[in-house]
Amino acid sequence: MDSLIIKDVKANIEKIKKQIPCSYAVDYDITGDFKEGYITLDKKNMIYKISIDGIEPYHEDKNLTLKKKTGLKSIIKISEIKEIDPLSVAEFRVGKRKLKEVLTFEKAERTSIKITKKQEYSSKIDKSSMELINKIGADGIKIPLESATRLLELKEKKGIKYYNKVLDRVVSEIKKRQVDPYEAVGIIAAQSIGEPGTQMTMRTFHFAGVREVNVTLGLPRLIEIVDARRTPSTPTMTIFLKPEFEKDEEVTSRVVKEIENTSIIDICDIETDVEDMTLTIKPIKERLKERMVVLPDIVDALGREKGITVLPEESKGRVIIKPQQDSYKRLYATQERLKTLTIKGINGIKRAISRKQNDGRWIIYTQGSNLREVLEIDEVDSSRTFTNDIVEIGQVLGIEAARNAILNEAKRTLEEQGLEVDLRHLMLVADMMSFEGSIRAVGRQGISGKKNSVLARAAFEITTKHLLRAGLMGESDSLAGVAENIIVGQPITLGTGAIHLVYKRENTEKQVQ
Amino acid sequence: MSSWISKRISKIQFALLSPDEIRKMSQVKVITADTYDDDGYPIERGLMDLHMGVIEPGLKCATCGGKVDECPGHFGHIELAMPVVHVGFIKEIKTFLESTCKVCGRIKLTDDEIKSYSATLNDAAFSDLDPDGLASRSKKVTDQCTQRLVCPHCGAQQIKVILDKPTTFREEGIKITPKEIRERLERIPDSDLAFFGLNREVARPEWMILMVLPVPPLNVRPSITLETGERSEDDLTHKLVDIIRISQRLRESRDNGSPQLIIEDLWDLLQFHVTTYFDNQTAGIPPARHRSGRPLKTLVQRMKGKEGRFRSNLSGKRVNFSARTVISPEPFLSVNEVGVPEKAARELTIPVTINQFNLDVMREWVKRGPEPRDEFGKYMSGVNYIIRPDGRRVKVTISNAEENSKRLEIGWVVERQLSEGDIVLFNRQPSLHRMSMMGHSVRILNGQTFRFNLAVCTPYNADFDGDEMNLHVLQKEEARAEARIIMKVQEQIMSPRFGGPIIGGIHDHITSMFLLTHGNPEFPEEDVIHMMSYLEINEPPEFIMRDGKKYFKGRDIFSALLPGDFNLKFRSKLCAGAKEKCEYEDDPADKDVIIINGKMVHGTIDEEAIGPFSGQIIDKIFRKYGPQEAAKFIDNVTRLGVAFISQRGFSTGIGDYDIPENAISDILQVSNEAVEKVGKNIEIYNAGQFQSSPGRSVEETLEIEIMSITGHARDESGKIASAYLGLTNPSVIMARSGARAKMLNISEVAGMVGQQSVRGERLNRGYTQRTLPHFKKGDIGANARGFVKSSYKDGLNPLEYFMHSIGGREGLVDIAVRTSRSGYMQRRLINAFEDLKVDEDRKVTDTVGSIIQFDYGEDGVDPTRSNKGKTVDLDYILFDIDQEEK
Repeated sequence: MDSLIIKDVKANIEKIKKQIPCSYAVDYDITGDFKEGYITLDKKNMIYKISIDGIEPYHEDKNLTLKKKTGLKSIIKISEIKEIDPLSVAEFRVGKRKLKEVLTFEKAERTSIKITKKQEYSSKIDKSSMELINKIGADGIKIPLESATRLLELKEKKGIKYYNKVLDRVVSEIKKRQVDPYEAVGIIAAQSIGEPGTQMTMRTFHFAGVREVNVTLGLPRLIEIVDARRTPSTPTMTIFLKPEFEKDEEVTSRVVKEIENTSIIDICDIETDVEDMTLTIKPIKERLKERMVVLPDIVDALGREKGITVLPEESKGRVIIKPQQDSYKRLYATQERLKTLTIKGINGIKRAISRKQNDGRWIIYTQGSNLREVLEIDEVDSSRTFTNDIVEIGQVLGIEAARNAILNEAKRTLEEQGLEVDLRHLMLVADMMSFEGSIRAVGRQGISGKKNSVLARAAFEITTKHLLRAGLMGESDSLAGVAENIIVGQPITLGTGAIHLVYKRENTEKQVQ
Repeated sequence: MSSWISKRISKIQFALLSPDEIRKMSQVKVITADTYDDDGYPIERGLMDLHMGVIEPGLKCATCGGKVDECPGHFGHIELAMPVVHVGFIKEIKTFLESTCKVCGRIKLTDDEIKSYSATLNDAAFSDLDPDGLASRSKKVTDQCTQRLVCPHCGAQQIKVILDKPTTFREEGIKITPKEIRERLERIPDSDLAFFGLNREVARPEWMILMVLPVPPLNVRPSITLETGERSEDDLTHKLVDIIRISQRLRESRDNGSPQLIIEDLWDLLQFHVTTYFDNQTAGIPPARHRSGRPLKTLVQRMKGKEGRFRSNLSGKRVNFSARTVISPEPFLSVNEVGVPEKAARELTIPVTINQFNLDVMREWVKRGPEPRDEFGKYMSGVNYIIRPDGRRVKVTISNAEENSKRLEIGWVVERQLSEGDIVLFNRQPSLHRMSMMGHSVRILNGQTFRFNLAVCTPYNADFDGDEMNLHVLQKEEARAEARIIMKVQEQIMSPRFGGPIIGGIHDHITSMFLLTHGNPEFPEEDVIHMMSYLEINEPPEFIMRDGKKYFKGRDIFSALLPGDFNLKFRSKLCAGAKEKCEYEDDPADKDVIIINGKMVHGTIDEEAIGPFSGQIIDKIFRKYGPQEAAKFIDNVTRLGVAFISQRGFSTGIGDYDIPENAISDILQVSNEAVEKVGKNIEIYNAGQFQSSPGRSVEETLEIEIMSITGHARDESGKIASAYLGLTNPSVIMARSGARAKMLNISEVAGMVGQQSVRGERLNRGYTQRTLPHFKKGDIGANARGFVKSSYKDGLNPLEYFMHSIGGREGLVDIAVRTSRSGYMQRRLINAFEDLKVDEDRKVTDTVGSIIQFDYGEDGVDPTRSNKGKTVDLDYILFDIDQEEK
């Protein structure tokens, strides 16, 4: 069902909210019939959902909420308005066209990405395996799904007696392998990741499968992950297409062309005419062909820019630009701005390369990353596509996805170096960095700087700042952690230090004799 | 015994010192800048006043009466002539001045705003507030206040305050004196303090302006007497002298009405001295210097950084009862043992409290004196000191041993020397993981070095090229128990990093086991008896009779080390890639190592079986039979390894890399072809015909192409060379078995060294457009860019030698950069994660109680005990059960 999407209500939103139900008069014609609509304030996210009673042509009425005073054309009768969790404008489309920015109003249909993966996964677990897992789980033990399935196969093949023997052995093995309470798992994880650091290469650039795309690997990458940098030094994406397009070379190269960012400077020469105060943009033919751009595309892109007059000279194969204000400064600024103007493609993706896998499927690797927009391409399989920019994943897909991204990136980096590190250590790092809901770096800006203990913070870095602040705020240190207790000379609160043993003497007399 | 109750500090409260409090805790008001009089006696009310503690033996503290080590030290104070600003609080003082009214002292918020904020800033619960939230909120409030130009409370016009760094405040260019600042801060009511993140229970803003300066106790700033008898004062004392002098002059000038200008100059000088007294690295102030020109180390410098109090003295401390010396190998020691030189053992002691059970033994030990030996001249431990209940220490000497022995009573403590079997901690730096510090039991050996089994080199990352290690003797029963139960080497065989063994045979052990088992050779009885004499094994291996003589098969000898009911099947390193048949084994079944009921039936023992990291056999023995058995197995494997290889003999030399003439010419041809091919590519490039690959420039594509040509050449030459180097070649044996080196290294020695590179590119730096002056400018051919055609055996020509050195330099730089970077990363990781622990129901929590994971690692399994990360190894369980069934 079509919805009405309205943009320009910023000034009136409070009024509308107060007057509900209200009639809102706007300065444009709306054709069609709507039952509901959405309001966006920033052109990107929908924040309000409205129910519409009807749309009428404009007529005088006392109770109208006016958008402006003159030139009104329609009235939207809003019966209800409620605040919703922000929905991306991109989730809506008009026919085949994706709705990226709302100009004033649009009618659009909301399309949601169907999550197919989840169903697939749960259907894979057969009931009996799940039962077995749950049965054993009652003892507080978790067995891997794979093992459960295999155990059940054994039951069929080799009989119940054999099965029971194996099951008993499995359960007792797992029981033996549980972690001990008060184990200092944090320190173990930190050591397990830090120790192999000395064995890693420093070489910043390596080729990861694709020669054309440079990726930071080794120790610098690991430090980058742990630091939770806003942008990695070499952002890259790995894009998978939906299964139906995966083996189609044509679709693949179309997608590559679609996402690769082309800006004016990539395909044109820009000449500055100081006398006439104009810029001449001369497209280079071969490059146009290479990037599959035609002159009208450039004119289109330029047309969207503000503050310039575009004079296309198609016959001569060039475009002349005149800034609306005559000043050298403006001319220069315009030139600089137009250089990086995107003609087509996705912002931030400098280069995209498709590679055929051994099984005939195509994967696209990119230099530069823009997860949000890449996921919006129809052919892209959003359940598998990823970027190495952890913070970006956090922004687009949420903290749980970012946690997995930290885990995967760290794992990938270590594996590439041929170092074995148990996943559980990386998991702990990922969880510690993300459990507060936002990604925190390991270091004075993040986890260490936010510690509860004054002494622990002072012992790490920027000693005096923490001590002085503690004095002003009257902080108190309850000596719960490791560093603090070492400083005051007490046993630490982990491992054997976490417990107290009391020896109860029985038969006192016997002992003394 | 007061130590029965263990007390814990429940919390440490931080606060600001008020002037009153400083005066109250002060034992003496310091008024003279002098320290000692002519007799060397502390001047009264001087900086070295006896009320502040004693540092000289013989004197008594005037406050508590304690002697040197008894008196904890006491504070004094200096009354400053005029108030000065505390540098550490400059920022806070600025926000106070900016966001409160200069007239009425109220925060520049309207009553409504105050009301809306104070809901979140409830004064009662100040201590419960989250410090970070508080900081950000107060930032918001103060930003808002700073904008206000009229006080909402009294309507007074506000003037913008500018901080003239480091310590001067100005209003429209006119200086606000600290005295004025203090007056303004005094006017701020308690109720407004919470908005600035100040806890009114412990701090007042005017306390950030100093009127009284606490003088730290003498213990904090002891003076030292040089050999010449000259006294040298501590940096802090020097600074305090300056402060008192200027303060006095300022007071005099003020009292006798000197011109304002002079007073202000002195005031600024006082501010300078007080500022540098706190922090001698304040930006914008030249650091105060010692007479010699060395910058003074004042309060902040004492605490800050790696050499500061926190990291150097509080988080890590110097210890007694430790030893350090060079290490060397000793294959006859168990992995659990460490060889300690006698000299060290005589110095290291363990306290023994005398009770009714050990009284007689200890009497005997004391009687032996400080350097006892048995009748064979072997080491026996004696006693160095006797500690009486009153704390008096008596040194045991040969002359007083007899006498002291008789005097010994229950309740006394003797410090006995290290004995065999004592558990000690052994450590090598850098201590990157917990296996860098393990418990060993002591063996006293002749010589001057610490010695240990070679299998323990891996966890310590030690070699014997001059490495030194530390040894710590545990002083308490609890510590020794913990060391024995959790720190002993055998308990640390499994690495928590990847859930496999980190201790195992190395180098010769692997070579030896490989030679013993590969192809299952036979050995005559006398050889085997010799080998067996190295081991602690009760049952002899199986044998076959031929011509009336006993012969032993290699695999059977190895089987003697295995527990009787041990089953295992795995692929050896040698045959790692083989599918049907391994190219190195005659018997197709030998591609897998198969052990059934403690008997090795197939395969070759190599790195995969007994090496550290992989060590399949060690791994499985540890899991099935526990640490004791695993340690025993490692002991035996290393001993058998040494026994066999020293009996058989094993050596490698340059002759191992001899290859026939035709191979040499083949390799030469390969290298010439490569150079030629590179040349051709360059020609095409020079002609402008070179096609670039998509997304790359022509130059980049050319480079990649050349790199692949030269890389290919090296691989080819390696293949040619190794075709003539079979498994009879010692070097190849070492490479294939995983004992040392890779096949690549062999091909470098016998075949060709290949392309040298810096940062993954061919060498390209040096002179303008050329790497060395021997080439023409712009020559980008193979030779000019570091392609080394020679092999190490043939030797490199001078040009190649330079090229090789350039490539080698990168490796050195890399290591230097890497160690520091990864060291810092690990420090940050440890600091961020040190407080995490698993609680009773396997949740992972931090100190505050936040839950990081609900079930550790999502399955609650300890990675140390996991199977290389896997929860269970079902394959092995099935294999094991199948064997038992049979």
